[in-house]
Amino acid sequence: MDKPAKITLEQWDARYAALRAGGLAEPFYGGPLGRHLANGDRRLSKLRYDNSPAALRLWNFLLTEDDRLFAARQAGQKIVGVMKDLGTTAAMAMSLPEVTAFYPDGAWWIPCLMEHGSGVLELADSLGIDESFCPVRAMLGAFATGEHFPRPDLLVCSAGAVCDDFSAIAQLVEGLGNPILWWEMPARRRPADDEPAVLLPTGFVAPASQVALVRGELERVRGALEELASRKLDDATLAAGIAHANRARGLLDELRLLAYSAEPCPMPALEMLIAEMLIIHYCSDRDEAPAVLEDLLAETRRRALARVGVMPAGAARIFWVNPVADLRVMNLLEDCGGRLCGTELLFCHSLDVIPADLPPMEALARTALADPMVGQAHDRAERICADILRFGAEAVVISRIPGASHCALEGGVIGGIIGERLGLPVLEIEVPPLSDSMMPSLRTRLEAIVEVVKERRR
Amino acid sequence: MICAGIDAGSRAVKAVLVDSRSLATLGSSVLDQGVYQDRTAQAAIDELLGPRGLTRRDIGRVVATGYARNIVEFADTTITEITCHACGVRHQMPSARTVIEIGGQDSKLLRLSDDGRVRDFAMNDRCAAGTGRFLEMVAGKLEVPLARLGELAAEATNPAAISSMCVVFAETEIIGLLAGGARPEDIIAGVLGAIASRVASMVGRNLEAPVAFTGGVAMVPGMDSALASVLGRPVTVVNYPQMTGALGAAILAARSCSQPEKG
Repeated sequence: MDKPAKITLEQWDARYAALRAGGLAEPFYGGPLGRHLANGDRRLSKLRYDNSPAALRLWNFLLTEDDRLFAARQAGQKIVGVMKDLGTTAAMAMSLPEVTAFYPDGAWWIPCLMEHGSGVLELADSLGIDESFCPVRAMLGAFATGEHFPRPDLLVCSAGAVCDDFSAIAQLVEGLGNPILWWEMPARRRPADDEPAVLLPTGFVAPASQVALVRGELERVRGALEELASRKLDDATLAAGIAHANRARGLLDELRLLAYSAEPCPMPALEMLIAEMLIIHYCSDRDEAPAVLEDLLAETRRRALARVGVMPAGAARIFWVNPVADLRVMNLLEDCGGRLCGTELLFCHSLDVIPADLPPMEALARTALADPMVGQAHDRAERICADILRFGAEAVVISRIPGASHCALEGGVIGGIIGERLGLPVLEIEVPPLSDSMMPSLRTRLEAIVEVVKERRR
Repeated sequence: MICAGIDAGSRAVKAVLVDSRSLATLGSSVLDQGVYQDRTAQAAIDELLGPRGLTRRDIGRVVATGYARNIVEFADTTITEITCHACGVRHQMPSARTVIEIGGQDSKLLRLSDDGRVRDFAMNDRCAAGTGRFLEMVAGKLEVPLARLGELAAEATNPAAISSMCVVFAETEIIGLLAGGARPEDIIAGVLGAIASRVASMVGRNLEAPVAFTGGVAMVPGMDSALASVLGRPVTVVNYPQMTGALGAAILAARSCSQPEKG
């Protein structure tokens, strides 16, 4: 086994040549990482990557999603955009073999990778959605250019308990001539004392009436998918799709547990962030995604058993809340002496197993309603506290995304509850997609939280 | 043995020498920050050594802090200004449980435990809001020395409402207030109050006294009373507010002298 390390893109390309010469077998989307830089993903040259072939596969899988989507269109697949849903409608759509689902909201990663080169943010500006909105506005630019994914055959999007920013952007997407099937997601509330309640997969509780409402809304989505695919999406097919999703979720759960608890840290924060993102919609390939995760898990397991890692033992154990818009911050955490030790990236309900002992639509409705973003910040904080204890984190970083209205107020609430319950230091930071000017300040804060953790150990 | 702390801040470089055993301060210097930050840091330390007939070889250990800490090449290690300010305040005011530090381009709030360790901290540095740079702009616009801001604020009869904390927008706002006939004294009082409110928003609901005030802005007369007024608690300016970070760095350097490894 090669010694685990973090390497630059240039180093990866040199290593790639050596691995190929040594007989590295790759999937169809394989190749040197440097080619993605040539394709315009400029941010890649500023990152440092895990040096394992498993990580290479992960990155290549992530960075070829556009190609896969256009190829799927060429192959006659029906393309479904599942908007404002992190894992539920994607699992439904991908239960049908003729359907490829993708996550248009994920277009906010385009400027994260391409910096200003993509022009999607500038285009969103020109369409009236400026930088005071969440970076998900990149989706509007991406729909307008049509360069990053094919025009979907069907767009489904949840409405109701949805960020204002997102609603405005999605309505503009529809205004560009992309009809949307809207389905309602109620704001999850706590059941009244005398009200029938349902325990959701994440551990949250909701009134049974809200679960029934969501189930009814998802039935409408099911109907639209059946019409699109010209075939029934019956319970047996759905159950098989759920089992497929659960397999990937199980792999990710095992990977997280190992990567976040083994000492020294066996897998870098950046690759773990990408692996977690994968679970939302499998990067548009539900069969390949589990294979990618299996590889990563196997590598992580090997390292954990050999007690080797990508940084020295003893790093400060940091629980991370919310995704970062600038991927370099994940590298920065480790440069500052911290390691990832648990995450809540706004989609913990996509990580949990979808109940297999319930009728499929009921199970999906419960999973959808377990979305941390449709409930109170207090609920989310409870889940985060439980996960902090599970992984043994020593401090918490809450990363805000500028303009994302969902995050603006939650950080203080969540931080307060963590401090009160667990007595851990909490740091709030803000990470825009292009955070170059803020890097010195971010470094100071992350170094300081590491210093605080190390001082507390004494 | 002598140990040194360098606080390479955004507006000034501060250096402190301490005796590693007694932790007594042997000397301190301040130089304006410049383009060549490492050279400025060297000059700040040389300014202390020369008159004492010492050279850098006589220094057992150097810790650098401040936003340009990584540029100070002759430092043995770097420690963030969060930790250094906490240490510096602890040395000067052991009872402090909350530290407010306002520097040239950011402001910080530190919560300390009974043993002086940092329990938690918050920083505001999205822009120059509520920082020394902001006050410099105000003083410049009103053509008054920084040192007189507090004195003039005390003469305010109708403090102006300053709604913008962005340096650029606030400058425009001040021009508008002056054009509208507002007195400079009222504008200054409004500015100090606005900065204090900004800092108070970092404090939240759980303010633990005693509150220590440090950083270069703590030297601006009247800022402490503006903070005390907003926080509803006494605020104590430490003895050497501008030097606190460098002092903390020097003390941390002295403490680590006894440890076997450097870096």
